[in-house]
Amino acid sequence: MKDLKYSEILRLNKEIGENLKSNPYNIIVLSNIIVHQIKEVLEYQLRIEGINANVVNGDYDNIVQDSLKYKESNVVIIFWELCNIIDGLQYKIDLLDDDQLNTIFERTKSEIDLVLKNLRKTSLILFNKFTSLPFSISTRRKNYLEELADQLNQYLEDNIPANVRLVELRKVIASIGVENGFDFRYYYSSKALYTINFFKSYAEYIKPFVMSTNGRAKKALIFDCDNTLWKGILGEDGFDKIEMSPRTKDGVIFAEIQSMALALNRQGILICLCSKNNPGEVDKVIESHPDMQLREMNITINKSNWSDKVSNLKEIAQELNIGLDSFVFVDDSPFEVNLIKELLPEITVLQVPNKLYKYPKMLRENIGLFYNLSFTAEDKKKIEMYNQQVNRETLKNEFANIENYLASLELNMTVYEDEESIIPRMSQMSQKTNQFNLTTKRYTEGDIKNLIEDDASKVYAFSVSDKFGDSGITGLCIIIFNDKNQAVEIDTYLMSCRIIGRNIEYAFIDYLIDMMKRNKVKIVKARYIKTPKNEQVKTFYDKCSFKLTDSNESVRNYSLGVSEYKPKQINYIKVVNGKQYG
Amino acid sequence: MDNHLKNVMSAVFEIPINEIDQNSSPDNVESWDSLKHMNLVVALEEEFNIEFTDDEIVKMMNLSQIKSIVLEKLT
Repeated sequence: MKDLKYSEILRLNKEIGENLKSNPYNIIVLSNIIVHQIKEVLEYQLRIEGINANVVNGDYDNIVQDSLKYKESNVVIIFWELCNIIDGLQYKIDLLDDDQLNTIFERTKSEIDLVLKNLRKTSLILFNKFTSLPFSISTRRKNYLEELADQLNQYLEDNIPANVRLVELRKVIASIGVENGFDFRYYYSSKALYTINFFKSYAEYIKPFVMSTNGRAKKALIFDCDNTLWKGILGEDGFDKIEMSPRTKDGVIFAEIQSMALALNRQGILICLCSKNNPGEVDKVIESHPDMQLREMNITINKSNWSDKVSNLKEIAQELNIGLDSFVFVDDSPFEVNLIKELLPEITVLQVPNKLYKYPKMLRENIGLFYNLSFTAEDKKKIEMYNQQVNRETLKNEFANIENYLASLELNMTVYEDEESIIPRMSQMSQKTNQFNLTTKRYTEGDIKNLIEDDASKVYAFSVSDKFGDSGITGLCIIIFNDKNQAVEIDTYLMSCRIIGRNIEYAFIDYLIDMMKRNKVKIVKARYIKTPKNEQVKTFYDKCSFKLTDSNESVRNYSLGVSEYKPKQINYIKVVNGKQYG
Repeated sequence: MDNHLKNVMSAVFEIPINEIDQNSSPDNVESWDSLKHMNLVVALEEEFNIEFTDDEIVKMMNLSQIKSIVLEKLT
């Protein structure tokens, strides 16, 4: 976007906006300075990803009042500009006495508290950290403005609730430089401080937060091998001549790339290979090359063969049971890069730069693609779980009958009710799960907390284990009570794709309906909302003996008389009530 | 030059290019308010790689004035 001029952004944003039909995604910007130019720049950045962003600026210097007015937005962004906390603070502050300074500090803190309290039910708040940079870039000693920024930032760090993410404004400014980031001409005449260049960088910086809440974070990083994971061509140069050692001139670049991939892998990002090579030869490098850092345990799928990469990438998506749009593919060949861009446009493709020293920087700049709003214990375990899945597939082949196979797994399901300690994971599942997801409602940690605390709703989560291992928390179901608890509605029901195919989905509905019966509930309502990715659960409730009451293109509504429910009674899944997680 | 300027104005004020003429001004372009004026200034500066002074900014109130100021900057 940095290459696009502001006028081009304005034009393109309008064009794309007119063609987007999805529900508007409302972003409100609260500020104590003029930042109206963020609107189209941020909208454009999100609309090109298919998110129908609608950015609204709050009134000038009205953060506290506006925080009440706009609490229903999807995202609230807060520009709380230090130099305008009181008019002209940047020059007044050095002449204030301690009492006056302290008053400003205390007043701002209590205003922050009030704003965050008003917004406590808002899904996501992006709060810019305070910075004195435009007025302290040249000072040697820390000036008062800088001191105040540090104190306020410390206060924010110590006190932010689960629905707030702090934005490192200094990084955004550093990426373009103070000189390019601020326009003092408009600051003095109109209280507008930032340049268009700043807003372009800012929009790029915060994009991953929004992508993540929309379930759009990338999940897998796929590498070509030759001149992508190591220097040289394995089939021509040979096992001993390829380079990825920190001790050689070019090898050091690839050593860094592999370390970065390994670090992502530890955070739960899947690493796969897709290269044109003799299959056994790449395996040998993975197993025994002394400088190779990515080993068998890190590489979930290795497609090193002579098939075309388009087919290989499609197969990887199938085997992992995730969408091509959650892939990032890295290759050094312009031919392959363009081919994939052309034929599989959903995939984000990165080309290894001609100047090798730029390669690690390029990968770092794209690490935001994998950003997850909530980072949880399950992410770390995920790799292990995918490996277990490969073991299960092997066992599956040995059983002719799928029921026998499932019975042999020793399946256990543990259900948790309104369990606060797993809020981040529950929120994350709602944001990331696309396929087995009946209504695809996205909830932040703050939303889940509210649903747990609210007596009119109940939040169930479950984990599944079998003799190969524990999936961690992989299912979520949210129930809303109406009509004096006589009727309930299933607001959300989703399961991670890792545990699909074991009839867990039915075992949980058995459990749920049983619980409802015990609580004297008469009617359970449920709903399927169509998305491009959840076709597989379209008739799920039909299979659970719910009655379809009405339906159209995009929604199917169901109702179930609890007394008429026919349980599946899956006897090989043991269900236990988890008292506390951990 | 006229077309180049009209293009920028059309993008900033969100109006079709054929609705812009030499006399287009805040008086007859509904969306041309003080914030949009700021957007116009920034867009033109970026477009032509120039920087306007405060005095020039307040004078740029119709297409012909804008044109003469931009041309002056470019020569």
